[in-house]
Amino acid sequence: MLTRGTLVYVSQRLVLIAFTVVAVSSLVFVGIHRLPGNAFVSERVKGAKLELLLHEYGLDRPLLVQYQEYATNALFHADLGESFVNRGLKITPLVLRELSVSAEVGGTALIVTIGLGMLLGVVAAVRQNTWVDYLLTSISVVGYSMPSFVTATFLLLVFGIWLANVTGGALEYPIGWTGTYGTLAELSVPAFALGFPFASIVARLTRASMLEVLRQDYVRTARAKGLRERVVIIRHGLRNALIPVTTILGPLVIGIVTGSVVIETIFAIPGLGKEFVESILRHDYNIVIGVFTMYAAMVGLANLAVDVAYTVIDPRIRY
Amino acid sequence: MGAVAVAVPEEFAGGTVVREQVSLWRDSWRRFRRNRLALAASIYLTLLIGVAVVAIFWTPYSMSHLGVTDPYAGATLAHPFGGDSLGRDIISRLMIGAQVSLIVGLGTQVLVIAVGVVVGLVAGYFRGSIDGVISLVINIFYGVPDLLLALILYVILGPGIGNIIIAISATRWMDMARLVRGQALSLREREFIEAAKASGARPHRILFGHIFPNSLGPIIVQATFGIPQAILFEAFLSFLGLGVPPPTPSWGSMAGEGLKAIRFAPHIVIVPSIALSVTLLAFNFLGDGLRDAFDPRQKR
Repeated sequence: MLTRGTLVYVSQRLVLIAFTVVAVSSLVFVGIHRLPGNAFVSERVKGAKLELLLHEYGLDRPLLVQYQEYATNALFHADLGESFVNRGLKITPLVLRELSVSAEVGGTALIVTIGLGMLLGVVAAVRQNTWVDYLLTSISVVGYSMPSFVTATFLLLVFGIWLANVTGGALEYPIGWTGTYGTLAELSVPAFALGFPFASIVARLTRASMLEVLRQDYVRTARAKGLRERVVIIRHGLRNALIPVTTILGPLVIGIVTGSVVIETIFAIPGLGKEFVESILRHDYNIVIGVFTMYAAMVGLANLAVDVAYTVIDPRIRY
Repeated sequence: MGAVAVAVPEEFAGGTVVREQVSLWRDSWRRFRRNRLALAASIYLTLLIGVAVVAIFWTPYSMSHLGVTDPYAGATLAHPFGGDSLGRDIISRLMIGAQVSLIVGLGTQVLVIAVGVVVGLVAGYFRGSIDGVISLVINIFYGVPDLLLALILYVILGPGIGNIIIAISATRWMDMARLVRGQALSLREREFIEAAKASGARPHRILFGHIFPNSLGPIIVQATFGIPQAILFEAFLSFLGLGVPPPTPSWGSMAGEGLKAIRFAPHIVIVPSIALSVTLLAFNFLGDGLRDAFDPRQKR
């Protein structure tokens, strides 16, 4: 498992991730600072007052100098600067708090994705070519083609409005979170809407790979020696069927992270994604760059974690 | 013992059984036709393209005209899908939205094919350090949250449907490049490439005259799966209010606006949502059908 090769591989990947994050965030920095207009446009300050404001935030200096300062602060002091719109608001603590909120939503969605996806896939494979299989396969094809905001819309419509008497109005739109973090009820719809399309992909893959595995000789042997069917399916079937499924975990994490931007905006969840969209609309560029850098680092690390997880799940894979 | 008479079907009477000679494309078409879902999907998509073309010249009402209906009006005979929050006719806006989705979906894939094929061919054929650099760039792009990068790019580029296409293509070209690279890597070892080289063909002739046509099947399949992804991206962007500039409607922005009225006029959000989902579903079915038709050996 943790061989020297793995360590070398991991460190190479970490270098690549760092390079990616730096490259992407500097591109975004340069691109965004070249945009016409600035964060103070909406305040209608003009002339000397505007000059003063720009000077205060150092926005009148050459781009390279600004970038140098930004990068130094970000790298060595973990300081992403201040918000332009909410004067004096430090970005780092803000973003870290929002990251934890997004992690709550994304983590729940990931549980939905993997749990539901595996369950549907295994059931469809075990009942291959019955109506159960056809139903589940159709559901997963439809689920894969339904954008998360459509799923969210229909969930809100059914449970929040048509069944309002049953759910007691708990799912009214817009749902505001009562606290920083959502309760299980508040989380359920966003997490399901976010996870369902990816659960469909997992279900398709699990089904295909289960069918492959269940045909193997060692499964027949396991049955022949009188193991209970459940043990055969889970211990001999599912564990081996999971290996191909793990290969899509990387893209899956990216999908959930980017999908959360839309879901958080719909459900007014105070996470990174909502902040990202609002900052873009408000021209609060320091936050945009900070959040994007955070996302890039997170996606890189998640991908790396998935790749390392392969070696744990499948000892045949070595780096 | 009498002779056993065996009825010989007429076409076998000649002695040997000869299968009708068919080209690769005819053969693929024959397999494709047998896939009913893919066939239904292509009929739907043909209709959709028809609607989008008609919408260039004619929509029942102006897509941007306010107060054609009462605000939030439900379905009537004159307005089959009702009106939106500003009293604009939803079916007219839906037709223009189909245009936007198709332009973005197809336009993105044209750009992705242009970039991905060239990059992939060069990397796969020349290998060595060129391949190393290209593969590194591809890997870097894979590690970036694509939708967010597209969002930022679109903001930097400025509003307009062309810029949406560029922004989405910039984050979605890698699948195509990787596929073509793989094709080039395997095809370059084949005898007919060696023959072309021996007869003095220049690299660009080998790349575009031999390797590219031979990887056309997988490229078409990949592009077909790329279209719904691009449409989905555009829908996400416009849903967030960062898409095609108003008053031009897109299914995403219609759904986004409609969501605000979900409690009392749910049809405004439901209609574009269903149009979007069905279209994405159709493209995915079409992609599945094409994949099976072009590569019958591939396991599902």
